Amino acid sequence: MKGEFLMTEPILRINNLHKKFKDTEVLKGVTLTVNEGEVVVIIGPSGTGKSTLLRCINRLTEPDAGEIYLGEHKIESAKSNLTKVRQRIGMVFQDFNLFNHLTALQNVAIGPIKVKKMNKKDALELAMRELERVGMADKAQNYPAELSGGQKQRVAIARALAMDPEIMLFDEPTSALDPELIGEVLEVMKKLADAGMTMVVVSHEMGFAREAADRIVFLEDGVIAEMGSPEKIFNNPEKERTREFISKIARLHGSDSEMPGTGS
Amino acid sequence: MGLINDKAFDVLRSIPYLLEGVGITLEITVIALVLGTIAGLFLALCRVYGGSFLHNFAVVYSRIIRSLPLLVIVFMLYFLGSEIINIPAFWAAVLALAMHTSAYQIEIFRGAIQSINKGQMEAALALGMSKYQSIFAVILPQSLRRAIPYWANEATIVLKDSAMAYVLGITELMRRSEYVSARTAQPMLTYIVSGLIYLIMTYAFTKSMAKVESKVRIPGLER
Repeated sequence: MKGEFLMTEPILRINNLHKKFKDTEVLKGVTLTVNEGEVVVIIGPSGTGKSTLLRCINRLTEPDAGEIYLGEHKIESAKSNLTKVRQRIGMVFQDFNLFNHLTALQNVAIGPIKVKKMNKKDALELAMRELERVGMADKAQNYPAELSGGQKQRVAIARALAMDPEIMLFDEPTSALDPELIGEVLEVMKKLADAGMTMVVVSHEMGFAREAADRIVFLEDGVIAEMGSPEKIFNNPEKERTREFISKIARLHGSDSEMPGTGS
Repeated sequence: MGLINDKAFDVLRSIPYLLEGVGITLEITVIALVLGTIAGLFLALCRVYGGSFLHNFAVVYSRIIRSLPLLVIVFMLYFLGSEIINIPAFWAAVLALAMHTSAYQIEIFRGAIQSINKGQMEAALALGMSKYQSIFAVILPQSLRRAIPYWANEATIVLKDSAMAYVLGITELMRRSEYVSARTAQPMLTYIVSGLIYLIMTYAFTKSMAKVESKVRIPGLER
């Protein structure tokens, strides 16, 4: 088990996070610590704030209350340090969000060039290595619109990796994919997890969660209802609600595929 | 022989004279377009990304200018100019056209910017780009491509509207057409000729912009 080799240094600390959209309170006080090298998979019904939680971490969504620390660094929206913090956090979106006007290679290189001021030649070499890492080197010169969903998502992962982040956030990375394309993305993510990357993943991919996760967080109704090892959550949950939810997912699409339409 | 009498021949002999006017027409058009595009794009960025002051300024400016006939703006600038700083007729016409088109271009560029999926901006920010970097490296390269056909259409409108400069006595194509028509007493033939010249110019421009559009098209993308 991967967990036995865990380093226990906390890298991400979320403390009592609250977020309201208009009258709907989406996050009602979430507290979560992620250790270095740990893979945390967040599951939960639609609309329980899974995506909002991830987006609050790098301030794409501004939380109403609560603190988030990356290492010792408190993440705030004082704009001077926000771009610095975001460089240290890789994010992978449900809809890929590759830059449409750039080739796969340029998509991966643009972060190092624009943000880290790396010279173009080095950045392109780095980008090529990252594309190789996700098995997309042969499509380096293709534009996003010429790639399949799975290929796009792999490039998006490479784009995030090129910034050499300390932690990677995955916001339902396979939910927009056709079933036959999910595997290639999960494979890349598993490889990444095995390589020791700290990851927070919002996903209902039970196969991935079982194999790669150190911890499963069951988020419901804006709070963490239960959390624990995959073994505990899948086989022996404390709460009836957790059991219901797990069996519902399993029933809907077996234990190894993504349930469509579970976006939140 | 109908049209081909001596006076008709006079009109045809005046074509070189008309073509000199084309030079001035193009000068007015190009300068007005450059200024109008810079102002329009800048104000569109203000409108979409600016603080409330810049946003409101762009909105109000666009609304006021688009509510005025071009001719009114031309005269306003010309006579306002003559009373305060004395703008030459040529520049009054150019600035009026530039102002007029900038107001429409605000809307063109605003639409193009807002048509870009907001995930593009989020992905750029998530990489650690500043908002400024995200706009210039990610949003504008895509939205400007989308704006090309609409901008090209607006540019041909500016070309045609430049005829308005004739009211200030500028000897561009329209003004010269009037002289030729008066001299030869062949208004219909004269205006058919100048109409054809306008047609050729707009056609050539539209065609070349279509070329530009397909040249910068992003492979695989629908639009």
